[in-house]
Amino acid sequence: MHLKRTLTILAATILVVGCASSASPSPSSGPSAAPAASTPAASGSTAPAASAAATPLAADPAEAVIPNVESGAEIHFWTFYLSPTFDQYIKDTITRFEATYPGVKVDWEDHQATFQDDLKNAFAAGNAPDVINLSVSEGWVSDYAGKGLLLNLDDKVPQAVKDIYFPGLWKEQLVDGKNYQFPWYQGLSVELINKRLFEKAGLDPAAFPKTIDGIPALCQTLKDKASTVCDIRLTVNDLIAQMVYEGNVKPISADGKTFTFNSAEAVAWLQTYVDMVKAGTVDNTTLTTTDDRTGLLLFSAGQAPFYLTGPNLIRDVKSNNETLYNDLAVAMAPLGKSNVTGKGLMSISVKADTTFPNASMALAQFFTNPRSMVQFSQQVAIYPSSPKAFEDPFFSSPGTAIEDSARPLAKDIIATYADIVPTIPKKADVNEIVKKAVESALFNNVSAQDALNKAVQDANALLAG
Amino acid sequence: MTARFRATPYLFLLPAVALIGVFVVYPIVAVFYYSFTDYDIVRPPVWIGLDNFRKLLGDGTFWLALTHSFVYLLVTPTIIALSVCLAIVVNRKLRGIHIFRALYFVPAVSGSIAIGLAWRWLFDRNGIINGVLQTLGIIHTPIQWLAEPGLVLPIAMLLTIWAGIGYYSVIFLAGLQNIPEELYDAARIDGCSDFQKHWHVSLPGLRPQIVFVAVISSLAALKVFDEIFVLTARTGGILDSGVTMVFYLWKQAFTLQHAGYAAAIAIVLLAITLAFSIVNVRLLERREADR
Repeated sequence: MHLKRTLTILAATILVVGCASSASPSPSSGPSAAPAASTPAASGSTAPAASAAATPLAADPAEAVIPNVESGAEIHFWTFYLSPTFDQYIKDTITRFEATYPGVKVDWEDHQATFQDDLKNAFAAGNAPDVINLSVSEGWVSDYAGKGLLLNLDDKVPQAVKDIYFPGLWKEQLVDGKNYQFPWYQGLSVELINKRLFEKAGLDPAAFPKTIDGIPALCQTLKDKASTVCDIRLTVNDLIAQMVYEGNVKPISADGKTFTFNSAEAVAWLQTYVDMVKAGTVDNTTLTTTDDRTGLLLFSAGQAPFYLTGPNLIRDVKSNNETLYNDLAVAMAPLGKSNVTGKGLMSISVKADTTFPNASMALAQFFTNPRSMVQFSQQVAIYPSSPKAFEDPFFSSPGTAIEDSARPLAKDIIATYADIVPTIPKKADVNEIVKKAVESALFNNVSAQDALNKAVQDANALLAG
Repeated sequence: MTARFRATPYLFLLPAVALIGVFVVYPIVAVFYYSFTDYDIVRPPVWIGLDNFRKLLGDGTFWLALTHSFVYLLVTPTIIALSVCLAIVVNRKLRGIHIFRALYFVPAVSGSIAIGLAWRWLFDRNGIINGVLQTLGIIHTPIQWLAEPGLVLPIAMLLTIWAGIGYYSVIFLAGLQNIPEELYDAARIDGCSDFQKHWHVSLPGLRPQIVFVAVISSLAALKVFDEIFVLTARTGGILDSGVTMVFYLWKQAFTLQHAGYAAAIAIVLLAITLAFSIVNVRLLERREADR
């Protein structure tokens, strides 16, 4: 009897643990930078070419810039979070691509919250798509390229085609000095400002700090006069990038063998946040969340004075809280000590072992070419990756909607985008070490210097191991 | 003819066995294999022997997660005590009692993610709890509940208890209704108070259900994931304050892409839960025999 019951429990335990260990929850871990849906307000913009978005463009042989495309190629293309809002745009662009490169067929799928899981599983199963929409801002390109899964484009793409793109965007996410992505749609970092809370604190939204040095004082004023705290988010998934852009930190030695993110610059960067936590001027949950929607939702609820995001997500604020939308101001994101405004947002890469490399590169290039990008930008507040696209009159006309207010400035800002973060070996593990150090300094009374010293020691041990 | 007759039951068993083989046995065997490999999901696994298990020994976060999982076991006695009390309360012939029973069961049929999100909003800086406390003048500045390392695990445990009481009380309610009324009559005649009646009649009568709930709820506590995942917005809490074994396993496999290492954690978890379950049942059976 005992044996029977024990065996039953044994079986039940194996089932429970087996289920637990094989379960693969599907968190929405991706960036929320994918463009939000176009709204009637946006389509009501007086922008000259706004209505052109609905009309499919005719094929133009000048768009066929990749030579030796394999005839009869059938290529698979995955995008991230674009369906159903942009189905028509994607389908029209594919139709134009197939007319431009006759004999090539494209099979398109959009993946959303499970994109990363789906893609990893597809690579593991040997049926990954030929052409993949990857996030530059989240570091996905270098993650996959570093594992040898993406095609090195520097050796394959003609120089004239490379020159179409902003140089800073073409050189993003390099792995061993090689590029693995066609830069696609770009975003601008803006601060959404709740004018009501600013007015309550006696602050002028137009005087929003131009550099991050001004943020601690701003948050202190907001706390003292408006009884609210700031919703600032650390880029928990890529803290090293944040310390490089904000603190001008050199995270690793030139030979790539020793970490150096315990320098005076790194300590000063971390100390800024430690001081804000100690002063109680920031929301600690938002500060350390991996989900950038947490702060946006708080802002949308009218409970945060400002939030750093893209203008494309202003439409989320509008759909959630129209009163706040009508009380909204926008300021450019403050500059960090690196003086680099930012890096790219989305890109398109090609699988390393694709059967049709030229057809795949052709599709990736086609979606990122100036003509396709102008049409995409007319539908949502995203921006092209090539200077030529900005010559379209659409970009010189300010939209009436607040989310389009930065449009005339976009070219100059995106032209300065650059990926200034060096290749970090074992990036995810090192980021985890840095995260622990940052948290222990913020919340466990460990000094910033000691926390970063320990992190560098652990990261160097990881590198040596 | 005879051979065909003997094959028939096995043919009936075959579909179930095949499904279990594919979806249970194979994954478990695969987890054993992957635990001896360096595997990042996208590239083929590389055999590294016992390295993952050696690494576990020196991994502070693993030991912290293990400690948290054992602390989480405090849910089990609490949930048993509260569920038994609730079952006794609703085991009365009162008007509208069925409505109360149904209401208590609502969390059991609600999705764990939905419940987790609701609790996250409750404990949010601008949530109802801070709102009530501020209105009552108990606090002046909102408490950042889920950003307090010492509070993440207790809040998650509270959530598990709240969500589980309704389900387990139904099991105890069924047990109570199987206890012959004559036993209560005899106790009453012997002069037992209400408390003594339940102590000496209800609890011994519920022993099979208590054993069952103890095993099931402790296994559930050891493999807790959803509550932590949602309450901490996938981070595991500041300073890993809410990281449990299964959360750490998930994080290693799907965030850090160390699927081989995660498999080693799963094997350790399997060994622990197995040992724990056997000890749990044996102790309860021995106590039963002693009575």
